[in-house]
Amino acid sequence: MAWYHRLFNTIRSDRHARDLEREVSFHLRERTEELRDAGMTDADAAAEARRRFGNRTVQQERSHDAGVVTWLESALADVRYAVRSLVASPGFALVAILSLGLGIGANTAIFSLTNAVLLKSLPVRDPAHLVNVYRKFPGDKSPQGNNSFTNPLWEQIRADSSVFSHVFAYGDASFNLAPGGEVRMVDGAWVSGDFFQTLGLRAESGRLLDNADDVRGCTGAATVSDGFAVREFGSAAQAVGKVIALSGHPFTVTGVVDASFSGIEVGHHADVYAPICAEPMLEGPKVLEAHSRWYLFLFGRPKPGLSPAQVDAGLATAAPGIFAATVPEHWNQKNQAGYRNASLGAVAAPTGLSDVRDQYRSALYFLLAAVGVVLLIACANIANLLLARGAARQRELSIRMAIGAGRRRVVRQLFTESLVVAVAGAAAGVLFAHWAARLLVGFILTDGNPVALDLTPDLRVLGFTAGVAILTALLFGLIPAWRATRVDPQAAMKAGGRGVVEGDARYRAGRALVVGQVALSLGLVAVAALLLGSFRKLISQDPGFDSRGVLVATMDFSKLDPSSEGSLEFGSAPADVQAAQRRMVDALRATPGVQSAAAAFITPASGIGWNDVLTIPGYTSPNGRPPMAFFNQVSDGYFATMHSTVLAGRVFTEHDGPGSPLVAVVNEAFARQFFGTRSPLGRTYQTSLGDHLSAPVQIVGVVSTAKYASMSEAPRPTIYVPLGQGDGAGTQISFVIRGGGDPHALVPAVKRTAAATSPSITLSFVTLDDQISRSLARPRLVAMLSGFFGVLAILLAVIGLYGTMSYLVTRRRNEIGIRMALGAAGSRVLGMIVSEAGRLVVLGLLGGLLLAAATTRYIKSFLFHTTPTDPRTLAIAVLLLGVVAMGAALLPAWRAARVDPMDALREE
Amino acid sequence: MPRPKNDVLQGTLAMLVLRTLADRGAQHGYAMTQHIQSSSAELLRVEEGSLYPALHRMEQEGWIRGKWGTTDKNRQARFYTITAAGRKQLAAEQESWARLIEGVGRVLRFA
Repeated sequence: MAWYHRLFNTIRSDRHARDLEREVSFHLRERTEELRDAGMTDADAAAEARRRFGNRTVQQERSHDAGVVTWLESALADVRYAVRSLVASPGFALVAILSLGLGIGANTAIFSLTNAVLLKSLPVRDPAHLVNVYRKFPGDKSPQGNNSFTNPLWEQIRADSSVFSHVFAYGDASFNLAPGGEVRMVDGAWVSGDFFQTLGLRAESGRLLDNADDVRGCTGAATVSDGFAVREFGSAAQAVGKVIALSGHPFTVTGVVDASFSGIEVGHHADVYAPICAEPMLEGPKVLEAHSRWYLFLFGRPKPGLSPAQVDAGLATAAPGIFAATVPEHWNQKNQAGYRNASLGAVAAPTGLSDVRDQYRSALYFLLAAVGVVLLIACANIANLLLARGAARQRELSIRMAIGAGRRRVVRQLFTESLVVAVAGAAAGVLFAHWAARLLVGFILTDGNPVALDLTPDLRVLGFTAGVAILTALLFGLIPAWRATRVDPQAAMKAGGRGVVEGDARYRAGRALVVGQVALSLGLVAVAALLLGSFRKLISQDPGFDSRGVLVATMDFSKLDPSSEGSLEFGSAPADVQAAQRRMVDALRATPGVQSAAAAFITPASGIGWNDVLTIPGYTSPNGRPPMAFFNQVSDGYFATMHSTVLAGRVFTEHDGPGSPLVAVVNEAFARQFFGTRSPLGRTYQTSLGDHLSAPVQIVGVVSTAKYASMSEAPRPTIYVPLGQGDGAGTQISFVIRGGGDPHALVPAVKRTAAATSPSITLSFVTLDDQISRSLARPRLVAMLSGFFGVLAILLAVIGLYGTMSYLVTRRRNEIGIRMALGAAGSRVLGMIVSEAGRLVVLGLLGGLLLAAATTRYIKSFLFHTTPTDPRTLAIAVLLLGVVAMGAALLPAWRAARVDPMDALREE
Repeated sequence: MPRPKNDVLQGTLAMLVLRTLADRGAQHGYAMTQHIQSSSAELLRVEEGSLYPALHRMEQEGWIRGKWGTTDKNRQARFYTITAAGRKQLAAEQESWARLIEGVGRVLRFA
C-alpha cells in the first residue's frame, strides 16, 4: 500500500474507526436478533453473537492495519521478533555485532578525527561569517597566496576599516612561565584587542581583553583559558587579578575565557592570550616595527551585507596603500617592487587555522577510504552469515509464506533483523571509537608536540555513524533477505530442508561475496605492504649522520642584544651575539660528559629549510633555470659530531669565521649535480645580495649527503657555510651535542653551562632521535594503521572463506558420503573441496590485483622509494593472502575428507 | 490491479465478497455472511471478525465502495457495491481459483 494511503488513513482514522464500530454493532444486533428468533434467550444470543464474531478489539486493531501507527507498531513487533531470533542464535549475533562493532567503530574513530581536524567549525559565534585575510605577491602560484602578516601590515589593515566590522590579528606563541631557572613553557598567543569581541566569546570570569588593552606602550595583561586557570589557581574566579610571569615579565590576568573555547587553531590550544602591544616587553622594543617578521594571522567579520566579492574588491582597493606604507627597506629593488604590487583578499575560514590540518588532510582521507574497505569486507562476512542463516531458516520462512505472509513482509522482517544487528554493532562501535580516536591522537601526539583536538562526538559524527550503520544494514541485509525469500514454499517444505544434492546455484551469491572479499582484502593488503615497506625503508635508510646519542639544544640569544628586532630566526646576528654563540660552542665542549659539540642553524628533520639561487662560474644549467641549493650554517666540529663522512678536501676549523676567506663545504649530491665527475674543490659560487652578486665563495670540501629538512626527501644539493660568514643563523641557534650514552643525561650539565654563560639565554632540548621520530609521525601513523587494517582485512576475508567452505561442506555432506560409499578416497574429497576453495581464492586474487593496479597510484605521495606497483610487494601480498586463505579452506576440506559415509547417509 | 497470490485465505474471502456483490448488488456485511453461508449450502462460514477489516481493505484497494444506508428494518447499515476495478479483480481471482482447483483435482486423481 502506498505511503500516502497510510498517511491519509491516519488523518481520517477517527472516521474510519467510527464507521467500523457502527458496522460491527449493526452486525451484532442482526445476529443477536436472528439467534433470538431461533429460540435463544437474550443474554445467550448476545454472547453467542459476540463469540461468533471473535474478539472485537483485536478485529478493530487489525482493521486499522492500514494506519501509520500500526505500521510503526508492527515495525516494533519486527524489532522484538528480530531481537528474539538473535538471542536464539547468540553465536551468530555475537560474531556479527562484534565484527560490525569493530568495523563501524574504526570508521567512526577515523571520522571523528577527520571531523576534529578538518571539518569542525570553531567554537565561536557564527563561525560561517569568519574570514581569513591573505596576501598575494606577484608570481605567487597558490590562489590564496600566503596568510601570514607582519605587525606593520596588520596595523595598516586595521586602520583601513572599509570592509570589516571586526578584525583581529593572532600569532601563536609559547610563553615561559618560570620567573627564573628552568623554563616552563605554556602555549599561548599574541592577539589584537578585538580578538574576543570578533569571535563573540564570553568571559567565564573577570573580563576578556579588548581594544583598550591593546594600545602601544601597554603594560602586561592577559586573558587565560579555563583549563589554565584551574590548573594554576584552582578556579576561574580565583585567577582574576592574579599576576603571571611571561619570560619574567609581569602580566595581570584580566579574566578567563569561556571553557568551551579551545582556540582558533585546531591542534594548538592556547592557554594564555596576551595583547600584541605587550610584545616589546618580551621580544625587544623594535619588534612591532619589524618588516620581515611574518607571524600574524588576520581574521575578520565582513560588514553586514557585503558579498565575498565585495570584501575582496574592498581589500584589493586598499592593498596598494597598505603595502606602500610598509615596504621593508632592507629588501632588494626587485623584491620591494613585488611587495608594492602585492594584493589582499579574504576566504571564509569557519574552521580557523591549522598546521595539523595541512599535514594530515590527505592521510586522513586515505585512512577513511581504507577503513571503509575494511567495513565493506566485514559487511560481506555478515551477508555471508545471513545467507547461510537464510538457507537454514528456509523451512521457517516457507512456512510463514505458505500461511500467507507476503514476500515483502518477510523481507522486511529479515531486514529488520539486519538493522537490529547494525544498530547494535554501531552502538558497540561508538564505544570502541571513543577509545580508538584517543589512541589515534596518541599517534599524532609526540613528545613536546602537543596536539589538542576536540574529539567530543557532535551531530556530524553521530550522523556519520548512524548513516554507516544503515548503509551496512542495507549492504549486508538486503540481498540475503531477498534471496532467502526466493523459495517455492511447496518445494522447500517437501524437501524437508535437506536434499541429497543441494543445488549449487542458490549459493552463488555466497561465493561471489567471498571472491569480492578476497579481492578487496588483497587491495588493502597490497596498499598496507607498500606503505609498511616504504616506512621500513624510511627508518632503515642511512640518513648521512648518526642520530643516536645526539642532543639538540636550541638557544635564543636575543636578550643579549637589546637593540635587535626581537628573536631573529633568520638573518645575521650582530657580532657580539655571534661571538657569544661561538663561546657557547667552546663552553659546551668543556662541559663534563660532552664528547663533541657544534653549532648549526638547521638541524636535520626539523622541517626547516633555507635555499637560494646560485651563480656557479663555469656551470651552465641544462634547462636554463639558475642552479639552486639548500644552505646550512655550521660551526667547526659539526660533521665530526654528526658522524658524517668527509669525502674530499677539508671541513671547517675554528679559523673559518668572520674575516677569514669565504669558504664552503658541499655535499655529494651538490658535487654530482653541478660538477659531475669533476672535483668541486677549488670551484666557486655566488649568491644574490640585493641587486648584485655576493663575493665568490670557494668550495673546500665534500661530505656525504645527509637528510636535510625531512627524512623522506630526495637527496638535496646542500652548501654548508661556516658560522660568522654570510647570512644564516640569527639570534636563535641550535647546538648538536654528543655525549657517551643517553643524550637526556646531558641536559642538566648543558643547562648549567648555558646559565653560566648568560642567564638571559633561554633554551629548549630535544634528542635528535626524537626530532626524527617526530618528523616521521605521519608516515608512521599511515603505515601502522594501514598495516592494522590490512591484517583486519585478511582476518575477515579468511573468516568469510572458512565460513563459506564449512557451510558448503555441511550442505554437501550427503553427496560426500555417497561419493565415499562408492569408493572415493578421502584425499580425493579433500582435493575436491580445496580446489573449489582455490577457484574462489584465485578469482579473488586476480580481482584484487586488478583493483590494486588501479588504485595504488593514489597513495604515491605516501610512498618513499617505492613504486606503487612494486611487483615484489604485490607478489608478497598475493602469496600471503593466498597461503592464509588456503589454510583457512583446509580445515573444512579435511573435515569433509573424514566424513563417515555410514553416518552421513544414516542421517538421511 | 490484481493482487499477487500469496494471501490465500484473504484472497478467497475477497473473491467470495466480490462474487456476492457482483451477483446481488449493494449489500451490507451481515447480509453477505448470510448469503455466502446459504449459497454454499452451509459448507462455508465466513469468519465474521475478519470480514469487516477485509471490507475496509478492499474498499481501500478500490474494488468496492461503501455507503451508509437504511435496511428494511429501518436500521443504519453500511452498504457495499462492487466497482469496475473490483469486477476485474474478481475475474482474475476466479480464473486463478479455477486453475488451482483443476491442478489440485488432477493431482488428487492421478496421485
